[in-house]
Amino acid sequence: MSRTQNNRLADDLVRPLFNTSVWFYAIVVAAGTVVLSGAAAWAFQLWNGIGVAGIRWPVFWAFYLVNFVFWIGISHAGTLISAILRLVDAGWRRPVTRCAEVITVFALMIGAMFPIIHLGRPWLAFWLFPYPSAREIWPNFRSPLAWDFFAINTYLTGSVLFLFLPMIPDLALVRDRSTGWRRKVYGALSFGWRGTTTQWNRLESAMQIMAIAILPVAVSVHTIVSFDFSMANVPMWHSSIFGPYFVAGAIFSGIAALIIAMALLRKFLHLENYLLPMHFDNLGKLLLLMCVLWAYFVFNERLTVWYGNEPHEMAVFWATQRGRFAVPYWTMVICNFVIPFIILSIKPLRTILGCVVASFAVLIGMWLERFLIIVPGLSYKQLPYSWGDYGPRPVELIIMAATFAAMILLYTLFSKFVPIISIWELKAGDHSTPHAPAAPAHASLMASAPPEAGHS
Amino acid sequence: MPYRWGMAVDIDKCTGCEACVTACRAENNIQTVGPEQAARGRAMHWIRVERYFEGNFPDVRVKFRPVLCQQCDNAPCEAVCPTYAAHHNEDGLNAQVYNRCIGTRYCANACPYNVRFFNFFNPEWPKPLNLQLNPDVSIREVGVMEKCTFCIQRIKAAKTAAKADGKPIADGSLQPACAQACPTTAIVFGDLNDPNSRVAKLAQSPRGTKLLEDLGAEPKITYLQKQPWYESDAK
Amino acid sequence: MSVYGLYDDPNVAQQAVNNLRAAGVADADITVISSEPFEHFEFGHRDAKTSMPWIAAAAGLIGLGLTYYLLAASQQAWPLVTSGMPIAPNWTNLIIIFEMTMLSAILVTVIMLIFTAFIGQRGKLYDSEVSDGYILVGVENPADAAKLEPALAIHGGRVKTV
Repeated sequence: MSRTQNNRLADDLVRPLFNTSVWFYAIVVAAGTVVLSGAAAWAFQLWNGIGVAGIRWPVFWAFYLVNFVFWIGISHAGTLISAILRLVDAGWRRPVTRCAEVITVFALMIGAMFPIIHLGRPWLAFWLFPYPSAREIWPNFRSPLAWDFFAINTYLTGSVLFLFLPMIPDLALVRDRSTGWRRKVYGALSFGWRGTTTQWNRLESAMQIMAIAILPVAVSVHTIVSFDFSMANVPMWHSSIFGPYFVAGAIFSGIAALIIAMALLRKFLHLENYLLPMHFDNLGKLLLLMCVLWAYFVFNERLTVWYGNEPHEMAVFWATQRGRFAVPYWTMVICNFVIPFIILSIKPLRTILGCVVASFAVLIGMWLERFLIIVPGLSYKQLPYSWGDYGPRPVELIIMAATFAAMILLYTLFSKFVPIISIWELKAGDHSTPHAPAAPAHASLMASAPPEAGHS
Repeated sequence: MPYRWGMAVDIDKCTGCEACVTACRAENNIQTVGPEQAARGRAMHWIRVERYFEGNFPDVRVKFRPVLCQQCDNAPCEAVCPTYAAHHNEDGLNAQVYNRCIGTRYCANACPYNVRFFNFFNPEWPKPLNLQLNPDVSIREVGVMEKCTFCIQRIKAAKTAAKADGKPIADGSLQPACAQACPTTAIVFGDLNDPNSRVAKLAQSPRGTKLLEDLGAEPKITYLQKQPWYESDAK
Repeated sequence: MSVYGLYDDPNVAQQAVNNLRAAGVADADITVISSEPFEHFEFGHRDAKTSMPWIAAAAGLIGLGLTYYLLAASQQAWPLVTSGMPIAPNWTNLIIIFEMTMLSAILVTVIMLIFTAFIGQRGKLYDSEVSDGYILVGVENPADAAKLEPALAIHGGRVKTV
């Protein structure tokens, strides 16, 4: 790309930072209100006791844990897109990486709040941190919840750094294009980045190392979250398939969230020339792959339970297939498999709108899947005399709504202050060989975009 | 020889009177949650009497099974607690340390017997019920898990007295509240390590079974019943 | 005092770098600044060699050892039996050791980046025209500025002196 084309790219991607539409304020106010309501609901719970939630004997884990697993699952989008595609050097990833990494960081932050929200005595949550205490007692490192602490913190640290490091050159670019307080703030945030070849090389090395490091961490995080369930001898929890099942489900829901986020960004920030139908097509194909993979895991799990016919497990099995949880179960099957499979496997249907519809269905289905893993097992444990039914209460619903609003709010604020598409990566993507002509022969994102993209 | 506290519950003798439930509540300061919370499933019964109907009218039989914490040797609830609030003590009991509990409730999920109970709210004892509280047992605040401790406060008192006297605890002299209150002596408590104790002998009885034995939690309570559970003998 | 040229074509920038070398400037004294990495051009990967991966791996191993020690020592210090498991079970400790290994590698990588790219920077030469897409090729504190200006004054570039 020529310098002028590059500059137009930079202009387009920096414009949302300087021009604020009324939508921005509307979204911030609306989402902010819901987030504040969630905070109030939590304060209400802290004051009155965790009993204001719907949990009961023997269903001691419910909506808060469902949301915890759901949001940690969503956070797997960024890593897959960013790290894997970066490692295999897939060019189409370039406009998508930061959108995905932002989802990861915010979904992790939101998800990591739930282990604190669900505690009976959250003011003592710091006991999970391994510090040498005067009482000479440490956390119980044999507990999956202690593993959760380490895994989520490692992943959060890694993801924040993975997001922030490639942001620095773009922050420097914004610094150079702004004046006044903006210049000072972005200058501070870019840590005096100049763009010398040494800096670029070190940054690339660091990103390469981190991409390699963060992939196993991401897989381990959701595996460890699954261990919260599979380590207990609850019917239909105690299954060795939970590790890979949860990771596959996480990537599934993460890609769905990414598609929705990208579609909204494309619309609100006028990024039609950068987030192309080709990107949605590729992500749609990935989503289809994860859809089939998810179905494969569910089939595996359910067939072994049904075939084994063990009475404790069959009680839970029938409760989900035909009993009290039948409606959520079959809704989940339709939302997670039928709808996405039809839309995404038929090419004419795999448009941006089609992908977004499929993604919404997947998000609903994956939330239901988490619910159906956690609650039926606890409702129907080994001793029938102590079976019990769970129903959510307003506190849980408000906090759940607040988390979705928090995601929207944080994402909106982020895209206001940082270019949501990585400018330097997009520019760098067009240099395939030295002495190449200005428009290289291979698929570049600007020159040979599919006809429906249009050019500004 | 360290103690190894265990229990034998005779189902053939149990009348379902629930004196054990009442005595346990009185001894251990268990909160009464009220009708509204009980309807929402928050009732706390460290020992509960499960009632099963067998057969068809007019040959209906009722069986009662008191279920309390089995003090498992391989307790699934212990390893999952992130703060060591649930761990195994030197007497073989499953200790629950209220001060250390942060209320993750994982232990309650892991317990297959559902004998762990959670304080969803702070307990209240409107006057003059507060005068009934046992000073030997601490009150648990909101967010803390609790369960049957085999009346560990009585065990500790008996051990202290026995140490002072220089003699081991005599079999039958130490009883948790449920065993003490049972009118038919269906609940027998004692030291499983003492081969002469009643409970050690009853644990060997051919009438003895363990609850959910195949799960491998190694519960220490032996349930005695002459008739097998599922056969309906018309005799 | 620095002398540099601004070019909008990376091929011309490469030419400028070659000219500077021909004029006797050492590689380490040539500053090239751009708003994107030009990895496929020679000037872009002049000092790409780094031992960061090895140091990161070493940091991971150190994290592994430290975590192993922390877990073993703290679990043995006050041995509390849970579920009949060993006091310091390897299976479960392995999970935490894995996480801390990766965290060590990640943190040390970032620290290395901070030191090599930010704190350890040599030189302060910068022109905000770089953000408009120009490639800056120049020398800070040159021995003979007069000789360098013709080297940098190639067609397609502007020479500046600061």
